[in-house]
This record gives sequence, C-alpha cells and structure tokens, in this order.
Amino acid sequence: MTSPIEPAEAPPASESASESAPGSLAAPRSLSGHLHHYRWDLDKTYLRTEFDTFRDLVRTFRQRADEKQVVPGARTLLRELLHPDTVLAPRRVTFISGSPRQMRKVLTERLRLDGIEPVEFILKPNLENLLKLRIRAVRGQVGYKLEALLRSRIHADRVEEVLFGDDAEHDAYIYSLYGDLIAGRIGADRLLDILVACRVYTRDIDRILTLQDTLRPAQGSVRRIIIHLDRRSPVRRFLDYGARVVPVFNYFQASLVLFGDGQLPGRSLLHVLEALKDEGYTPTRIANSVQDLMRRGFLSPVLFARVEAELDAAGQTLGRPPSAFLEASREALELVHVRERPTPPWIEDVDYLALVGSGRFKPPRLREKVLQFLE
Amino acid sequence: MRSAAEHTRTTILVDVTHGLDAGHEALEGAALASLNLDTPLCVVGDEPRITRALQEIPHDAELLRVIHAEDAEHGGGLRTTLEHAAALPCSTVVTAAARYRVLQDARDILPLLPGVTRPALAAVYPTVRLRGERDDPFALLLDVGAQLDSTAPVLLEHAILGAVYARLISENETPRVALLANTSQEDAIPPRLAEAAALLAEAAGERFTFAGLTDGSRILLGDADVVVSDGYSGELLIRTIEGFAATAEQLLARAGKRFRWRMGVSMLGGGIEALRELTDWQNYGGAPLLGLARPVITLQSGARRRAFVNAARLAAKIDRLDVQRALDDATRDTPR
Repeated sequence: MTSPIEPAEAPPASESASESAPGSLAAPRSLSGHLHHYRWDLDKTYLRTEFDTFRDLVRTFRQRADEKQVVPGARTLLRELLHPDTVLAPRRVTFISGSPRQMRKVLTERLRLDGIEPVEFILKPNLENLLKLRIRAVRGQVGYKLEALLRSRIHADRVEEVLFGDDAEHDAYIYSLYGDLIAGRIGADRLLDILVACRVYTRDIDRILTLQDTLRPAQGSVRRIIIHLDRRSPVRRFLDYGARVVPVFNYFQASLVLFGDGQLPGRSLLHVLEALKDEGYTPTRIANSVQDLMRRGFLSPVLFARVEAELDAAGQTLGRPPSAFLEASREALELVHVRERPTPPWIEDVDYLALVGSGRFKPPRLREKVLQFLE
Repeated sequence: MRSAAEHTRTTILVDVTHGLDAGHEALEGAALASLNLDTPLCVVGDEPRITRALQEIPHDAELLRVIHAEDAEHGGGLRTTLEHAAALPCSTVVTAAARYRVLQDARDILPLLPGVTRPALAAVYPTVRLRGERDDPFALLLDVGAQLDSTAPVLLEHAILGAVYARLISENETPRVALLANTSQEDAIPPRLAEAAALLAEAAGERFTFAGLTDGSRILLGDADVVVSDGYSGELLIRTIEGFAATAEQLLARAGKRFRWRMGVSMLGGGIEALRELTDWQNYGGAPLLGLARPVITLQSGARRRAFVNAARLAAKIDRLDVQRALDDATRDTPR
C-alpha cells in the first residue's frame, strides 16, 4: 500500500525562534512545536572510515582526531542544518555509531574540531560483547542501533527526525523499521518476528520490546532517511523502503532533498556546494549528480528552478555566484529526454521479514568484487 | 605527454545502444569503469531505459552522465554519440556498433586530422616477441578494414599513425614498421606495395625504423611492432588470428573427452589460462580508429562488459599520453 505523505513543510520564517547554540540540550520548542532531530551514523556517513580489512581497523583505531577525514560536504551540511541563523525550528543532532566505546575520546574531539556538539553520542560496547562471547552482537547492527534509536529519542510531542546512514551495513533497514515503529505501524508480534529473523539476541529483543511498549501513538515521525552510497551500492537495494529513504552519492544531493523538504535555506546549498568544490569536486561532477537525482525522481524541474533562483540570489549576496555549476547543471539536465519523473512512492507497509531473506539485505561487497575483477 | 597543468581530462562517450543484450553489456562496462577510472563518462542511449538499468548496477553517478538518444533502438545511439564527440573537444568514443556503420557515421560526423586523408582501423594482436619498456607482447596491425584498397601515400600515412600510437601506448621509442606483403622478396610484390615500401624506407628515421616486407608466416613471431596493410588484407589477417585463437579454444575443449588428455590439460592449467588471457581479445581494449579528430574505439558486437571497461581504460590512456596531439603533429609533417 502506498500513500502520498507529503514531506515536512518548512514553518514560516517568523517561527524561527531558536536562540540556542547548535546541538545544545536546552533549545526551546519553536512556536510550531516542531523539533528537528538529526541522527547521524559516524563511519562512512560522517567520517571517511575504512574497516574492510584488519589493517584498516588497526589504522582507524590508531588515528588521531585531526587525522580523521570527514566525508566531503558532511560537516558543512550538518553545520548548516544546525546553524542558529538558518534555524526554522529547534534542532538537535545525535550520533549513533558502531565504533567501539574506547574511541569516544578521539571521536568526540573530531566532532569538537568540526564545531559539532551532539546531544548524545552513542558508541557500541564491542569489548563487552566480545568478552561475553556475544559474537553476533559484535558484527550485527540491527539490535544495537534499533535499541539506541529508541532509547535516545527526544520525548516531545512533535519531533521530526531526519536520519543519516550509509550503505555499508543495514542503516536503511534499521532506520526505516524505527520510523515505522514510532509511527505505530508495527505491532509487538511483528517486531518480534523481525528481530528473530535478524538474529538479534533474546535479551536485546526483550529490551527493544520494552522500549516499544513506551511509545505513544504517532509520537514524532521520521521524515527522511538519507543513505550515503559509500560503497556505490545499486540504488535498487533501497527502492523497497519507498521515497522516505533517499540514497545519495554525495551531500549536495542530500542538501537538495532537504532543501525541497524545507529543512535548508538556499544559502546553505551554496555552502555545501562550495565545500565540495574545496574538496576537488568539479562543476561537471556535481551537475552529473543533479542529473542523477532528477532521473530518479527526487528532484523535479520546478524544484530545480527554485534551487537555481536561490543559489543565484545567495551567490549574488555573498559575491560568489555559482555560475559554472549552474551552467553545467543546465547542460546536464538538457541531455535528459524526460525531465519530469514521478516521485517514488512513499511505502507504509515495508515487508521487513521478506527483506531479511532477500539478497539485497546483505551489505554489498560489489565494489571489492569490481576491483578484484579489474585487477 | 602533457604536463599536469595543461592536462584536460577526456570525456569517454559510450554508445550503449549496440552490443550484446541490446547494449546492456556496454552499460555495465561503463558503470564499472565509473567505479574504477577517475574519468568522466557519458552513456548514450534511451535515457529512461538506462536509468532503470542503472538502478541495478553499481556505478558512480558523479562520473556517469546520461545522454538521451532519439531513435536509440534503430541505431540513433551511434550518431548521437559521434555528434556529442564532435561538439566536445576532448572526448573519446567507445562503441560496439557494426564496423561498417562506425566507419560510415564517423567519417560523416567527425572531421579528419588535418594531415590525414583516410582513417585507419588498428588492431592489436599477441606476438612471441616482447617490445617496449614494459615488455609489451602486443603488436599493432593497421588498417583492418577502414580502407579496403589503399594507395602507397595512404599506406605511408597509416604507417606514421601506427608508429606514433605504438610509441606512446607501448612505450616503444622507435617502433619497427613493416609492410604486409605476399612475400618478403621485393621483386615478387605488386607495384603498389613496391611504391609504398620505397616511401616508407624514405620516411623512416627518428619516428620509426622500416623493417621491410613481412609475410603472414612472420606476423605472430613479432618481427615488427607495427604492420601496415590495406584494409582488405589486414581484416583478413586479423580475422584469421582471432579465428585461430577460437579454434585452439575448441580443440582444448575436446581434450576433455579422454582421461589422460584431461589430466594433461589440468596440469597445464595455469599456463593455458595465461595463454587464454593473452589471446582473449576482450582484454585488448578494442580497435582504435586512428586519423579522426576524436579517437573512436570500436569493439566487436559480442564484446562483454570487461571489453568495455578495457576500452574505457584505453581511452583514458590515449588522453593521458596525449596521443591525439602526437598523431596530429606527426601527420601534419607527412611528406606528400
């Protein structure tokens, strides 16, 4: 079943009343009562982390805070989402990562260097799991992340969440399941079946079911799930979750979607664009990703016209018009035959049990296969 | 070779309306190349179909642009690809369309290099002898079908194109160029070839050495790094070499019928596999059409995605080594 749920509308500018620092605990509720909660995964979503081999793991563990690389555009996007000047409603950020707790100090320092202060920073008790021989819990993410998401929810009547993850593990699955749980679309029996199918330990299942019990109907909602395609997985892997899940190749694509959702002003688009440019992105490369988003139906010609106008205006104000990018984008879009694409459907009854059994559930190792093949 | 400062990366235009599975192998090849090469790629074909197909294929959308081709199902893809190449100063075309179509449309749409009167289709083939700084086992044969009948000055033109290409791609500073003939006896060859041999001997110098005439029996030994021929004989020869490799493959399959043979083949497994890799044309990167204002790499209609990836790699190499400029410079100076 599909239903045309509209993306969250931006509240009027007059309602942007927050005066608090980005990510601070004490931000007040806006007049609209909406509170925006951004939940980020860390590795491969915010940080460029490699942990495919043992050597990668050791190197990651030994890196200093200033040696850790941020995914291009991620820091700027997050700062723009939390920026006091661009706040349309109170905003918070939480990090939930599969990294071990022993890395807290260095990771917190990395975020501090980036000027980001999360409300909560949850890390995985990997050592504890290992010592208790809970091997499935060391590797698995479903039980750990779902519990962390439920536990660290901000308990307010009107919370809108945007979740950021990547394609290395099961972020789209977990986030989508979480979104449906808090929307009251999944009952305890069904959740139990799903968690058993995901091979979550019984004790963890009990805790998750207890947390589910505390949910009140329609308490908050997950408006978007942004999946960074770090491994360049085929986007087909995410179609089963509907339009709420948007796989992106870079954070300018994410910015465009969030701009369309009313989460970001035009000026922020310019900042993310410039951040990518600083990382060596050419106008053509970004224009190609704009074309990709439009071909997949996440960017309409009408929305792109707004993007053009906003970017142009912001560029004029700041004295840095992004003319090369706009020209490249127009050219890329001209090459596409049919620009207007139906928006992908919003799916309310994701078949989580069937997904666990499907090949698409497994994190891809395709890129590695590709590299092997090419060698 | 260009310096880093003046280097402009090529755009590789891949025609995905031709080849196996209605161009799907070409699309998969381009998608794989986008993950491995840091070079912009454009796939040309029916855009809605490409977008649907790309959803299932790992690719990098930042490097892969889609260009819609009207009438893609009826061959429009090749013309659209060539038209975009004509409009893009730094671009390379990769296609698995029928070679006669490629030759016809490329000649219609792309200008020739100023010093070239006839383009040449070049093919690489493995030889016994290794060459260049990287011990390259491949020699170059041209023309393999672009001009069925070539005059002596055209054969000279092609010798220069081949020599420049071999010098850069095989890192072979002074390639040995030979003329394909029915015999290596100078008094037993047609007058046209004798005239061409005289022109080549006169033009030889810094750019290449003239290795004289070569007949079919010497080709695979690799006495020459570049073999020049008219398109008719060249195509005949390259097809024979490809057919020989395919026949050897079938003969090998027959070995499975007898236990002792099977054991022998199994023991030689590693060597046979290496030989198979060497003779598999999907590894070569296609046949470049030389002498046009843009490089055009043609692939056989049965090319699989690996062949397209290798063709894209070859395109990137042609750009990196600035082969087009070298071809242009060399042919401008050709004595007429």
